[in-house]
Amino acid sequence: MAEARQVPFRGGGFRPVQKRGVGLVVFVLLIAVVEWGTRAGWISSLTLPKPSDVARTLIGLWQSGLLMQHVLPSLSRLAVGSAMGVTAGIGIGVLIGLFSLARAGLVPLVAALFPIPKIALLPLFVIWFGIDEGSKYALIALGTFTPTVVATFGAVDNVDRTLIRMGQSFGLPWLSIVTKIVLPGALPGILSGLRISLSIGIILLVAAEMLGAQYGIGAYILEAGSLYDLERLFAGVVILSALGVTVSFLIGRVETRMLRWRS
Amino acid sequence: MTQFTRRNTLGLMAGAATLPMLGTPALANTKLVVGALPFTSHAASFVAYERGYFAEAGLDVEFKFFQAAQPMAVAIASGDADYAVTAISGGLISLAEKGATKVIGGALSEEKGIDGQKILASDAAFQAGLTSPAQLAGKKWAVTQAGSSFHYMGSKIAQAEGVEVAFTPLQKVGAIIGAMKSGQVDAWSIVPHIAKPLAGSGAVHIIGDVAVYIPDYQVTTVFTSATNAADERAKTEAFLAAFSKGADDFNAALVDKTAGEDAAEDMVKLIHKYVYTDREYEKAKPGIVNGAMRINAGAALNTTSVQDQLDWFKAEGLVKDSVTMDMLVDTSYVSTM
Amino acid sequence: MDLTIEGLTHRYDAVEVLSDISLSIPSGRIVCIVGPSGCGKSTLLRMIGGLERPSAGRILQLGDPPADCLNPLTFVFQDFALLPWRSVAGNISLVLEDRAVSRKDRADRIADVLARTNLSDFANALPRQLSGGMKQRVAIARALAVNPAVMLMDEPLSALDAQTRELLMDDLVGLWTRTPFTAVYVTHNLSEAVRLGHKIVVLSRRPGRIREVVEIDTPLDQRDATDPDLARAQDHLWQLMREEAKAADAELAHG
Repeated sequence: MAEARQVPFRGGGFRPVQKRGVGLVVFVLLIAVVEWGTRAGWISSLTLPKPSDVARTLIGLWQSGLLMQHVLPSLSRLAVGSAMGVTAGIGIGVLIGLFSLARAGLVPLVAALFPIPKIALLPLFVIWFGIDEGSKYALIALGTFTPTVVATFGAVDNVDRTLIRMGQSFGLPWLSIVTKIVLPGALPGILSGLRISLSIGIILLVAAEMLGAQYGIGAYILEAGSLYDLERLFAGVVILSALGVTVSFLIGRVETRMLRWRS
Repeated sequence: MTQFTRRNTLGLMAGAATLPMLGTPALANTKLVVGALPFTSHAASFVAYERGYFAEAGLDVEFKFFQAAQPMAVAIASGDADYAVTAISGGLISLAEKGATKVIGGALSEEKGIDGQKILASDAAFQAGLTSPAQLAGKKWAVTQAGSSFHYMGSKIAQAEGVEVAFTPLQKVGAIIGAMKSGQVDAWSIVPHIAKPLAGSGAVHIIGDVAVYIPDYQVTTVFTSATNAADERAKTEAFLAAFSKGADDFNAALVDKTAGEDAAEDMVKLIHKYVYTDREYEKAKPGIVNGAMRINAGAALNTTSVQDQLDWFKAEGLVKDSVTMDMLVDTSYVSTM
Repeated sequence: MDLTIEGLTHRYDAVEVLSDISLSIPSGRIVCIVGPSGCGKSTLLRMIGGLERPSAGRILQLGDPPADCLNPLTFVFQDFALLPWRSVAGNISLVLEDRAVSRKDRADRIADVLARTNLSDFANALPRQLSGGMKQRVAIARALAVNPAVMLMDEPLSALDAQTRELLMDDLVGLWTRTPFTAVYVTHNLSEAVRLGHKIVVLSRRPGRIREVVEIDTPLDQRDATDPDLARAQDHLWQLMREEAKAADAELAHG
């Protein structure tokens, strides 16, 4: 009689499980270590600012009303610029997805535009659109445009062709096939592209405010950098991060609302 | 044609005072990195290098070139450069406050009678009536960054005229020039060797002198890391001495013009190795000659001007109120005014 | 409305996939097309429905479709082709929205086809909430909503498990018995063919040619799995297809 042994379990791991709060703990721990280090002196004031000083700077910004003075212009730049870029991007992306001629003509153009560091074009934009809001809108618009185009035509390409054939087999007019089948089908891809586009928009905000901006989070960070004022620099970075998290959260809300049909 | 101004006299005295130090430090091939901008205002270092003054002092100097003043301050703080010459900026003061950098001497100065920095108006603004600094109210004043010397000058000029200007950060001098030419900004102040050719092309107009508003302005200073200032006394003294010698040659050749035509020509040729290298000598020459502003003899430092600048930075909230002159300046190396 | 196919031939580049197919599809009958993999039966169906253009030959409609027919040639797809973002009722509504149908008529049609396919309780469900069998019933309901002259069914039960397939076959038989419809039903499953087909067309392997047309006269609602006539018919079909299927299989493995 052979001896009985239990079959060992070997199927563990490789499956992400949601762990709530761990991210927060890591965050708090990191800040605590930096605070301790800067207070004890083994992190020099030249290397990192005291987190508590950064917090104090943020509170000071809030109390003096400067926070809104910097955040509001940046938000309006981000909103206007990315609204222009995203709208144009979705429009062109859909055209590329639907028409072979547009694809042949525009895909190489978009591929050529994509890798250009948009910051390099800023001086040119200043000449074209003026040093005030125009050039900032243009920079953010161009920066959000290219990833949106790529995401959109990819999303249109990925719309289940059998759904389109189905529409045709029922004699649906072209416009109905586009608005009722192609666009809703491409929406998940467009929205996930939007996450990337808007993050790029936030990155470009700092670049856009390099030229001719007295107020704005980007201008604030650049000023702090040039003054080597680490507290303000980090306070600005915290505001930008908060902006990024907020935008990502909002897109998440839109996704759960509009893509409820997905499992 | 030598003018004996107060500064000049003081400078000569200071220069004389530093002379004895020349032979004394026996430094054998001490390697050091000097940060510089490819501008005429940095000529003292170039002269000291080219004419072997650094080598005589036992210093093996290597230049590290930068495109703006602020990164140089950071490079000194990080130890990537040992000595540098730059305008007093907010960044420099903040780094001094953190115990990273120290101002140890003076370099470029505004001085009556010597062509100094100019106040410029863009052609568009000029045509619209901006013909003197008194009309600056509400105009866009170009600066590289907040807390730069351009910011200081614009602010002092506006203050003197009793007007408010809008400061427009454009990061780089090149970007400012573009924006001035296209009329995107209204006014700016800059060293003469940039101001004059621009005005000559008709794209901008000179509407005043900075020296009128900020007399005896200590435009640039010599600075180093706090460690060098405190612990490397011999090396620092040797550097300053060689630098001063270079400054003396430069002043004699191009500012006071006491050394004669040939010396001036030689000086321009020497500087042309570093400045406007992308232009032919004949084209570069006027720019170099025009840009010649006095470099303080003996690297003497105008502490009154430095104090004024520090006070302005504090008043503007650009640096902490707790910064003192002692944090910023080590006055033990050169004579002060 | 009857359909007639005359001398239909099709090639992709140099490869002939269908060769000289002539066939009539009489009104009120279900015509099954069976054949080995790759014989071009789905291609043939798409050509009948006007989604693909044959290289040669014609497909003719004889007579007019019924008066309230909105889409004479209507497909039912293997993978259901439901819009995942629309509810059951919304998916049916989709094919009526662009038609000259009043709001009320549309609602009536939707209610009618949902009732006929026993889906009335699921009108507001989303496709992801439905089983495969339910999804295909929605697709069939959608096809019925336009009151087609001919239903073109492309392996409609192939994506379903065996039990669900049986249930859906019963449903289809029930639907046809209550209101006879015309259909071309492509399948590779012979038991589906003998269960639902009035006429079974056997195609050879590529290039697809008509090997034989088998007619089964037993009324649909009287066919059941134990019927020896049906078993014989199915066996006959299998004998016809066996060699073809074997050859086609080897061909694919090589190709």
